Amino acid sequence: MTEASALGGVLPLVLQGALVLSAVLTLAVGYRVITGPTTPDRVVALDVIGTNVVAIAALYAMIRGLGLFLDVALVLAIIGFISTVTVARYVTEGDIIE
Amino acid sequence: MSDDAVAGDRSAAADREAATERAVRESYDRHTTVIARTVVRVVVPIILVTAVGLLLQGHNRPGGGFIGAVLTATAFVLVYVIFGMEYLQDDFLGLRAADGGSHAAVEYYRWLFAAGLALAAGSGMAPLIAGLPFLTQAVLFLHHIPLYGEFELASAFAFDLGVYLTVVGGLLTVLGEVGSE
Repeated sequence: MTEASALGGVLPLVLQGALVLSAVLTLAVGYRVITGPTTPDRVVALDVIGTNVVAIAALYAMIRGLGLFLDVALVLAIIGFISTVTVARYVTEGDIIE
Repeated sequence: MSDDAVAGDRSAAADREAATERAVRESYDRHTTVIARTVVRVVVPIILVTAVGLLLQGHNRPGGGFIGAVLTATAFVLVYVIFGMEYLQDDFLGLRAADGGSHAAVEYYRWLFAAGLALAAGSGMAPLIAGLPFLTQAVLFLHHIPLYGEFELASAFAFDLGVYLTVVGGLLTVLGEVGSE
């Protein structure tokens, strides 16, 4: 009982802390998106932002106990993956679809 | 001397044939790495299953025809980007490239678009026959289904399927036309 209650007390705190950390990190990476010297810098920074939004959605699903935010996280992860692949293709080849 | 010339011609022709064969084979996997091709081969079925899952749960949970269609188009974009335009229509659908260099599969995407519009409009019109307002929806609960228990048969799914086909057809038409330019 003591362990469960202790964990029950700690887990929301950890989740809130992770949420704040992800939000602050997203803002910090926004600086790299704006002042990135080269295009790959901006692409990687945007990918980090996408991953952070996925993390925020998953953390919110855990905090609220709502499974539907996991669907949001899944779809965002898929869209982020394909956008990264496409932009990498554009940067290296200059032509996306051949 | 003439024998040498003939042999040289023959070897040149053989070289040319081998070169064209190699070009055809390499046109599918040109400029993409083994990692990208393998990852796409694994990821595309997962994306398609996710899309169908979102489509099926769309009438009472988050999801629906539109996001399922966008994810399906995403899977097609991945195949187009990594394997090229020719792979899908030549090897997968068995179509020959149309003359003028346009994308032959676009014709089928247009039909998909039209069928989706017809299905969505038809599912909206169907209640009018029974004297109900436009787009009236009904739900039927089937009990004692083997392996599944209770199954919910919603008429909203027909509309969702129409939206799905319309958006898939539209997005893939745009993709095929723009990508083949």
